[in-house]
Amino acid sequence: MRFPFAISVLALLGLAPVDPTWAAAQDLTDVTQIVERANLAAYYAGDDGRARVGMTITDAQGRERTRDFVMLRRDVTDGGDQDYVVLFSRPADVRNTVFLVKKHVDSDDDRWLYLPGLDLVRRIAAGDKRTSFVGSHFLYEDVSGRRTSEDRHELVETTATHYVVRNTPLDAGGQEFAHWTVWIDKSTLLPTRMDYVDETGDVYRRIEALAVEEIGGHATVTRMRASDLRSGGSTVSDFSDIEYDLSIPEDVFTERTLRNPPRQWLPAR
Amino acid sequence: MSSCRLATTLTAFLVLAMPAAAQDVELYGFADFGVGARVVADALQPGDLLLNEARFQLDLAHYGDRAELAVKTDFTADGVVDSVQVDVRQATMGLRATDWLDVRAGRQVLTWGTGDLVFLNDLFPKDFVSFFIGREEEYLKAPQNALRLTFYSPLANLDVVATPVFEPDRSITGERISYFDPMSGQLVSASSSVLQQPTRPTQTLGNGELAWRLFRTVAGYELALYGYAGFTKQPTALETPGGPPRHSRLNVHGASVRGSVAGGIAHAETAYYDGADDEGDEPLVPNSQWRGLAGYERELLPDLTWGIQYYAEHTVDHDRLLAASSAPHVEPSETRHVVTTRLTYRLVQQTLTVSLFAFASPNDGDAHLRPSIAYEWSDALRLTGGANVMLGDDATFFGQLERATNVYLRARYSF
Repeated sequence: MRFPFAISVLALLGLAPVDPTWAAAQDLTDVTQIVERANLAAYYAGDDGRARVGMTITDAQGRERTRDFVMLRRDVTDGGDQDYVVLFSRPADVRNTVFLVKKHVDSDDDRWLYLPGLDLVRRIAAGDKRTSFVGSHFLYEDVSGRRTSEDRHELVETTATHYVVRNTPLDAGGQEFAHWTVWIDKSTLLPTRMDYVDETGDVYRRIEALAVEEIGGHATVTRMRASDLRSGGSTVSDFSDIEYDLSIPEDVFTERTLRNPPRQWLPAR
Repeated sequence: MSSCRLATTLTAFLVLAMPAAAQDVELYGFADFGVGARVVADALQPGDLLLNEARFQLDLAHYGDRAELAVKTDFTADGVVDSVQVDVRQATMGLRATDWLDVRAGRQVLTWGTGDLVFLNDLFPKDFVSFFIGREEEYLKAPQNALRLTFYSPLANLDVVATPVFEPDRSITGERISYFDPMSGQLVSASSSVLQQPTRPTQTLGNGELAWRLFRTVAGYELALYGYAGFTKQPTALETPGGPPRHSRLNVHGASVRGSVAGGIAHAETAYYDGADDEGDEPLVPNSQWRGLAGYERELLPDLTWGIQYYAEHTVDHDRLLAASSAPHVEPSETRHVVTTRLTYRLVQQTLTVSLFAFASPNDGDAHLRPSIAYEWSDALRLTGGANVMLGDDATFFGQLERATNVYLRARYSF
């Protein structure tokens, strides 16, 4: 473990290796390792985290809708189970709606939804993870991550800046795509572009990282876009008030939070 | 109308006082316009419109360091009954008192239990008029003045809801919707001469309501035990033979479980309604009942969810009830079976929602269908159209409302 520790010290000192020739010399070649590290970089930064998210959903006619929410996350195990709370503030008719997810790697997720008008805690079927998240062009699976064990991975190219990995589902009927290709940044190991390809070979859906910032020692995507290339609609997500390693207690991710959100763990209004 | 005036004063005070008291008051609300009409004539009712109202909701909230204040008030110009109504749906102070105690005091809407539009252990007030005439589904739940305490511990959590003054359901009274009066054996409306005003329990401390729920989640399965001490939420007892209806004493004990099964959500709930009629032969007071519910919901396709429930109400000592009854032919069946199903399909990037909820009783032969279609024109504007179809004989639960079968349209602008 001595080597990664040295890397992180260099990163803290601002001496992280950015020289592409140096990076090239250190290229990873094991696709499983690349994919696992990208999964950790994208979904498991720190032990927990929070962010304010503003989604702008644009349909093919150019009409815009918005979804504003705060997201809290806690890792049960790195690369494994996670807890999420999503607290909506806009639009007005979903304000104070709260969504709680217990993500399980080995079984179906547990999901709850709190509807404030009825004071009702609903249990939501884990269902199809390739369903739109709150009407946006992002899917549930984009928000909480796709299990790396669901696809066969193939390193198709290593460019000066990216690993290009093609992922083919082991269960061919379980999703709407035939395969997807991800571009993983070699320096941050963050996925920066994902292209989803249908049976006819057309790219019909794309997710792109539009901005990446270093926050709390973690390279973090602060702006991303999901595009439906068939209809022309897209959703842009902007992340702000991002913080990691807040030591959010486990009991924040329970029914108590659905009915009575703990203000101390939310960013200032 | 004094409560109406009080509500107006209270709201006006809060509207004026809150911005002065705190900079950070959130203001939200909506304007909602609804019109709905019966599709079959009802000779007992003066008109065909069931819904013709402009509703304006003002929702104010202040989030302080320790306490949260919230006031949600509906102002409604109701063209069907030709009046202006003020309904305070929420006026609460919420506190995270300690690590293990939450307090919410004031006027509030409360819900618990596992059923989908079927309530066993939830004895918080319902508004059945709103439910049948095409208002937004959340208006099925009516507010009450209550103190809610929630205690948290690693072993289990406990909710206690104390309601000092009994809050009955907003029942069907014959205004707008006619219903079957078992005493006279006929359909009646508010203007029917046979109709008598129900009497409410006197407002003493002993006549309040107490509800509790002990709950915890074990391996993803939510387990709960429930209790209620109060009165029947509808005036189903009689003061004297042929006399005015009243709310009789009621205790309820129950349990529920909910969790993931085969990619969907399964739930089961039971409740024992322990009425004041111990022997079952007191004709003026409803008998005790066992109630049971089992249901399952899952996603069939992306954005297409389907749910099914089976519900039964079993009246205890039914033979003695019939023997003591003056009108045994209109007494409820010994066991009423009900099947419900819900289909919800969301399309066009989830802006269009097509939905059908149906209740049907195979043994009583009555049914209620609730088809609807809703379109979100924008984040602010939503249009909804739907119908409430009631079928069955006059003496059945849904059949008595057959002449209130209606279609409706609503437009809501949120801000």
